[in-house]
Amino acid sequence: MIFPAEDFFTDAPRPTPLFAAVAAESEANLWTTINGWTAARVYSSVSSEYETAKSGAALADLGPLARYAVRGAEAGEFLGRLTTAPAVNLNVGESARGLMLNDAGFVIDLAEVSRLSEDLFLLTLPAPHARHIALASRGMTVEANDISADVAALGVFGPQTAGVLSAAGLKSVNETTAASGVLRGVETAARPIQFGVMPGVELIFPKEEALTIWERIIRRGAGAPIGLDAFEILRLEAGAPRPGLDFTPAGRAGASPRTPEELGLAHLAPLDRGWFNGRRALREMAGKPRRRLRAFAIDAEEASPGAAVFCDGKPQGRITSCAWSPARKRVIALADMDAASAGNAYEISAPDASSARLPAARLETVESALAKAFADEQGYTQGLATDFRR
Amino acid sequence: MTNPLDQNSENKGGNRIEGGIDAVVIGAGADGLAASAYLGKAGLRTVLVGAGPELGGRIAAREIAPGVTGIDGEHLITVLDPDVISELDLYRYGVEFAARRLDTTYFFENGGVLRFDGDLTQAALLNLDDDSDREALEAFMGDVLETAAFLRPAFHGGGYKGPGGDKQRALEKAVGQAPPEMAARIQRYLYATAEDILRARFEDSQLRTLLLAETSFRSAAAPHEPFSFMSLLRRYAGEAAGLQGAAAYAKGGAVSVIDALRRAAQGAKVDMRAAAPVKSILIEGDRVAGVVMDDGGQLRAPIVLAAIDARKVFQDMIGPGVIDIGLQRILTARRPEIASARMQIILKGVAQDEATRKNMMRRLVYAPSPEALSKAFMDARAGRVPERVIVEAVFPTALDEGAALDKRQVMSVMAHPLPFDEAPDADRREAIRSAILDSIEMFAAGFSGRVEVEDLRLTSDDAAAAGAHVAAYAAKPDVLQQWALAAAVTGGPRISGFYFCGPEAQIGAGLSCAAGRAAAKAALRAYKKGAA
Repeated sequence: MIFPAEDFFTDAPRPTPLFAAVAAESEANLWTTINGWTAARVYSSVSSEYETAKSGAALADLGPLARYAVRGAEAGEFLGRLTTAPAVNLNVGESARGLMLNDAGFVIDLAEVSRLSEDLFLLTLPAPHARHIALASRGMTVEANDISADVAALGVFGPQTAGVLSAAGLKSVNETTAASGVLRGVETAARPIQFGVMPGVELIFPKEEALTIWERIIRRGAGAPIGLDAFEILRLEAGAPRPGLDFTPAGRAGASPRTPEELGLAHLAPLDRGWFNGRRALREMAGKPRRRLRAFAIDAEEASPGAAVFCDGKPQGRITSCAWSPARKRVIALADMDAASAGNAYEISAPDASSARLPAARLETVESALAKAFADEQGYTQGLATDFRR
Repeated sequence: MTNPLDQNSENKGGNRIEGGIDAVVIGAGADGLAASAYLGKAGLRTVLVGAGPELGGRIAAREIAPGVTGIDGEHLITVLDPDVISELDLYRYGVEFAARRLDTTYFFENGGVLRFDGDLTQAALLNLDDDSDREALEAFMGDVLETAAFLRPAFHGGGYKGPGGDKQRALEKAVGQAPPEMAARIQRYLYATAEDILRARFEDSQLRTLLLAETSFRSAAAPHEPFSFMSLLRRYAGEAAGLQGAAAYAKGGAVSVIDALRRAAQGAKVDMRAAAPVKSILIEGDRVAGVVMDDGGQLRAPIVLAAIDARKVFQDMIGPGVIDIGLQRILTARRPEIASARMQIILKGVAQDEATRKNMMRRLVYAPSPEALSKAFMDARAGRVPERVIVEAVFPTALDEGAALDKRQVMSVMAHPLPFDEAPDADRREAIRSAILDSIEMFAAGFSGRVEVEDLRLTSDDAAAAGAHVAAYAAKPDVLQQWALAAAVTGGPRISGFYFCGPEAQIGAGLSCAAGRAAAKAALRAYKKGAA
């Protein structure tokens, strides 16, 4: 799950249930606000947190994300309507990614759906959408409760995730199956999460037990917390667009709405899936993107959002987000490009005031690989292969 | 002994799947009848299904007292689409106007009376005291009728994509191409309040009062609110019997138009089925596939056209699992606050004097003062029955058979604004009854003493008779909101082969049939392209 862009204008951010725990770990004491909740940008250093995620197990306070417990006989149909995730087809324990679209087929937000039991689902969104959810539930036998303020959410990911969970006594939790139950007296739900190629687990438990779980993991010396800045590098390496940064969610003031195809996320809203909100409009726009969100690797140590992207010498778009990737030894960026732009030589305007241009190349990411595979499948017989379950 | 193989022979609909149908039209009201006639006339095998025991929808004849028949729904024709009359040849099928342009007598709180010629272009011939007002009225009517005629395409039902795109785009395009003076006028009329425009044009308070009453009548937009003036433009864009802005009376009442539409549909070989309620609309993929009847039978067709209220169609028949969330939000966003009421009154005795007999051949309007009208809207919004309401009254029996009769006369009254009430109790009915009679007393002193029988018909009664959600028959909001709603219900669903022409697709009040025509034309375009 991707964090949305920070909101800089929140006067008094609320502490997440894990705040007391993560604040004690923060050496940098550098905080920001997401959805009105406090979120750590850096705990120790960006590079060490990045390395922990790559080689160990990173612990992330996922409290700022919005969560809804969705119950009822029509919970699957409801989520299938609200999001593009194949909720109805999920078996208990399965999770799926999707998008929330408006009636016109434009992206409102990203979404993740996990089926915890026959009639109980967990919906995780980058930002709260209470009104939209309430509207969507009208006329259906379903109850969607915002549990964001009632639960603590801890993300554990990286190659040593299983070891950390085992050390904490959470052996029954794994990286492929969502589950709920009581672990040592604490009501817990767990669901797989993914950041690029890194699998992980999100543990959700009552906020009163936040410190219990946290301590259980930290005392074993397993894992280290990771802040948003390190997350940002991992996100860009995965090629996942960030709401509010790489695109403005439809319905927000000043939004220039984007379709899934324009964000490189067409594989999350396949038209051969059951009906979802905005699908009919999406069908009319399919294959006719106006813009494209593309990933680039830039041969430079620095670049800045807003920089122009040149394709064969012509300006064709702008960088929306970028970061230095220690793994690739380059700046990696997402750029909002004219859909018609195609060429061999890409350049980025330099961040200084000079008119210099930095050479760049298209970058294949996990997300773009999925999109490409999906596009290749279009028109072939394997229509069902678009169901990206975990 | 029953042969088990013959079991289905007694089951007329249950579980039977009927194919070979090109189009199913749901709803046997005016728009449904008109739409089915268009489809049938174009050669499509069309089945019209209505839930009620009779065809006709809310405009229907009903015995309001022993031996006296009244007409529910509309009593005058003001916005009947002239294209529907000509294209469906309704005159041949029995439409006949007893009065093509009724003169209107306006009564005011202060006892004043003004008579308007039924032909609005002649309205300036009024005997006004002030020459400047007479000239102002002539200029005003010229402007308003010209602007209304220019905007007429935007007031026709539906937001179907076709030549010119949807209504808003069509309007923007039209305004963009209009002469500068017309474009400026439209901009002014579009956003301004009726009060502001009329205050700027007229000194005479009675003229302002009567035009405010005409503007606000049957609209939920109060005259002091933005966009309210558009309601008058919509009203004056309509035609009755070929005369713009006039009010006509169809011989036998508005139900005679329904009868003509029914005969036109019959002539077009439409298979009309009353007492055939639809349970759900079949959607397969993103295409419509037919309807499921209440008895379990199915009518399979590539075109389904719904001419009943939107909530029933989208929430009950299609279901929230298949309609877009935004459309659902629009349908349920706001609870209506304003409604109109009908009252049919059987009068004791006969008209004795010439003046009364003349008035019985006219349209009578009681116009409360602007202050009283604003207060009436505020009261109605707050759920209270206003003290004074606009009253429009006609005498159907006199118009049909002449006023000089020695038999009882029926007076048909429409009153506005009143509070919208989903389930009015007896007290509320009594309060509305009193408000209407009190308002009539303002121009006909002693009237209450002449009432023999009265029949009050509220929005909830019309809705119950039509089996519709009450909100569908509430007063319509300002025209801009109506455009948005019409575009959402006609263009929003994006279900291939499905078309909507229920009350929400119509702009303004009155018997129009424009929405049914627009939906049928859109369906035929798609059918010819093979897309339906």
